[in-house]
Amino acid sequence: MDVILGITTEKEVIVITSRAAVRGVSILKTDDDKTRVVAPHTLLAYTGEAGDTVQFAEYIQANIQLHEMRNTTELSPPAITSFIRTQLATSLRSRKPYNVNVLVAGFDTATDKPELNWIDYLASRVKVPYAAHGYAAYYTLSLLDRWHRTDLTLAEGLEVADMCIAELKKRLPIDFKGVEIKVVDKDGVRTEKVTE
Amino acid sequence: MSDPSSINGGSIVAMAGKDCVAIACDMRLGMQALTVSNDFPKIFQYNNSFIGLTGLGTDVTTLSEVFRYKVNMYNLREERDIEPETFANLVSTTLYEKRFGPYFVGPVVAGINSKSGKPYICGFDLIGCINFAKDFVVGGTSSHQLFGMCESLWEPDLEPEDLFETISQALMNAQDRDALSGWGGIVYVITKDKIVKRLLKTRQD
Amino acid sequence: MSRRYDSRTTIFSPEGRLYQVEYALEAISHAGTSIGILAKDGIVLAAERKVTSKLLEQDTSAEKLYTINGNMICAVAGLNSDASILVNYARVYSQDYLKLYNEDISCEQLVRRVCDLKQGYTQHGGLRPFGVSFIYAGWDPLYGFQLYQSNPSGNYGGWKATSVGANNATAQTLLKQDYKDDCTLQEAGELAMKVLSKTMDATTLTSEKVEFATVGKDKEGKVYCHLWKPAEIDLLLKKFGLAKKVEDEDDE
Repeated sequence: MDVILGITTEKEVIVITSRAAVRGVSILKTDDDKTRVVAPHTLLAYTGEAGDTVQFAEYIQANIQLHEMRNTTELSPPAITSFIRTQLATSLRSRKPYNVNVLVAGFDTATDKPELNWIDYLASRVKVPYAAHGYAAYYTLSLLDRWHRTDLTLAEGLEVADMCIAELKKRLPIDFKGVEIKVVDKDGVRTEKVTE
Repeated sequence: MSDPSSINGGSIVAMAGKDCVAIACDMRLGMQALTVSNDFPKIFQYNNSFIGLTGLGTDVTTLSEVFRYKVNMYNLREERDIEPETFANLVSTTLYEKRFGPYFVGPVVAGINSKSGKPYICGFDLIGCINFAKDFVVGGTSSHQLFGMCESLWEPDLEPEDLFETISQALMNAQDRDALSGWGGIVYVITKDKIVKRLLKTRQD
Repeated sequence: MSRRYDSRTTIFSPEGRLYQVEYALEAISHAGTSIGILAKDGIVLAAERKVTSKLLEQDTSAEKLYTINGNMICAVAGLNSDASILVNYARVYSQDYLKLYNEDISCEQLVRRVCDLKQGYTQHGGLRPFGVSFIYAGWDPLYGFQLYQSNPSGNYGGWKATSVGANNATAQTLLKQDYKDDCTLQEAGELAMKVLSKTMDATTLTSEKVEFATVGKDKEGKVYCHLWKPAEIDLLLKKFGLAKKVEDEDDE
């Protein structure tokens, strides 16, 4: 019942992830970070099976960094997204597939545009203006359908994000211990806000 | 519901007319009943051949990349474009390579042979058995509805503009009776020297 | 003396040389000349095709110039059979990259990959190095138009104008003399043909003996790679005054 949520605004992508690490009915951790910075302008947010998630995210992170070292250039967010999708697609038909759903938030410095990609464990990939995984999607997508615009400012985007978080707090049966809100823009990735 | 070919949803239809063919698809990608995106086109162009891929979203993307790979290599090695008939056989063999662990797709190929100018359409099952047709082929979660629509709307020797109207109405009215398809549409009308791509605005629910 | 060292590709001679690599370079220096010139708005590749016999069926396709992918072509000098293996490898690798990243591979990355393969054959035992030098011409969003040259040892470098094959020293001198930094594609094409006409055994150029290709941008700014058809080449030669007829008149 992790929350991961992505919203694109005019100039950035907002990524919201819950801080609780849950196993069964227990909350094990209240300052969990469900994201990895895979490249200077690309953030990977993930949910899924406990062991798989971090393993997969760090595998991606390492491979993108290796590519960057070998070629002295940063891979673009769409290229990274394609790479992630291919890895998941190969894994899907392997003996033990990764059970990981991800959002890839990036800022493409070539086109000067923010970009959000939704990929599930089946390696279905779509570029979207806003997205969520798991139960969070059922509660937030309708809100985002109503309030999202492509020309949102950061402040407006964060306002919409707050509406989503309020709704999730109200509807989800287990406390997710607040969220980390991260922003990806032309300057890279930063943590905008951490709530309790 | 856990049938791989109806998790993400989506539909495709192709029709032959007089010296023209048309191919159309919906725009939805979902997770069971939840719609994730209304911008997921399922038709891909390789030279003068078009393929519509429905079924499991991941395999739609994977296969579109595989076919781009293979057609690019064909172009380099043969130093010419691939014809629809040849492309259809490429699709068939590619799918059969995975006979015992298939891609969960229902492809449809459409195009006009650049030499003979003959329209060509065909469909496939998920392991590459070709279904040759001279009227229309359908695929995807609303294939039953599409069969009904095409059966009643299609007639021989339609001109490009009439073919566009026919295929669009067939697609739109079929997907309105399918919860897993819809959210917009794309139609290609292909004649020997012109390709017209149109976007259909349809109901978003 | 040298027999002790040159029968093995991977062993240095006492002077610190790899004989097999040098023999490969020697093989290349007998091949038809290939020239590459970088212009401000594109790149020109030109190559001499050696016509071995009148009876030989003239292949319709190029023999020395190959397309690698949508934005890269190469010219070959050396063993054609070796070259076609490497060209195929480059094509497959760039398609693999495209499939993985949905983006075209950058020029230098591809050149480096092929060179790494070539290098392998100078180090691992029992195998012969590829007897091929390449001139690569390509475009990518990072560095724009680029020209590279590689040789059997697996070395490569970026160039403004370069040549490989027979008489490449002469060609290189001519290029150094006449190359201008801000030349146009048109001027580069003319220069390439002129240099080629001077390095070739034959006095006149025809489309049977010359291959020609350009990388550039069209009106919409889209990158194109164009291997010229024989008829187009003949027309070009006529324009530059290098075709047979014009040459004959000059002689008089």
